Amino acid sequence: MSSTLIRSSFMNHSRAFCLKRQISTSRVASLEAGPSSSSTSAPKTHYKITLQRSAIALPSRVKATLESLGIHRRLQTVYHEHNPINAGKILRVKELVTVENVSADEVRTKTEQRRERRPSRGFVVKGSKLSQEAL
Amino acid sequence: MFGAFRPSPISSVGLLWKTPWKLSPTRKANARARLKRVDSVIEAVRASGVQCAALTQALELPKEHEMPPKDKYTVFTPHARGYRKGIHKVPKWTRLTLRTNPRGF
Repeated sequence: MSSTLIRSSFMNHSRAFCLKRQISTSRVASLEAGPSSSSTSAPKTHYKITLQRSAIALPSRVKATLESLGIHRRLQTVYHEHNPINAGKILRVKELVTVENVSADEVRTKTEQRRERRPSRGFVVKGSKLSQEAL
Repeated sequence: MFGAFRPSPISSVGLLWKTPWKLSPTRKANARARLKRVDSVIEAVRASGVQCAALTQALELPKEHEMPPKDKYTVFTPHARGYRKGIHKVPKWTRLTLRTNPRGF
């Protein structure tokens, strides 16, 4: 009795795990489909800022500017709206960053960028024998 | 041994720090590439349509193709004959903007 309970809880856990992975791959697919279609037509409203050179041994105001932009390490990418404040911040660290103008639907949060870096699993879990048995 | 320092006999100082007086063609090419990268950053901020004092100042800086080679590879100094020294002698020169020099020098 106890052994069957343990086995069923293990199977439930693994099925939930598979479902989670399925959701993440489908969301990645929708994200990938989005930007390529609208990048040319949509108005550019954000700066895509990537840190190329570090601020080690540079004045503290340069380091403070990078901190205010939310950049913590080299090659980190950050998105900010077009406004004079962000423009001034970029120009203060212009020797350290590369900037691209992007539209609002190309903006990605840190989690979304991380998810996009993942390679596709190469398969989609359609179901398992246990789910068929339940039906 | 210790980075830029070369070892020499301890009886005569012990360490020697040699830097060439001018940049090699490779270093010059890399310096030009860095200038172009900063130009592209300023251009991206200008293309965004935002107006600010920092942008007005940045647009007054000469672009890489407008700069004479003297300004790209040397920098003003009051101490040397000719009032110029190699730009690579400025600490952190690869991460600083050193495009303009006093007029006439």
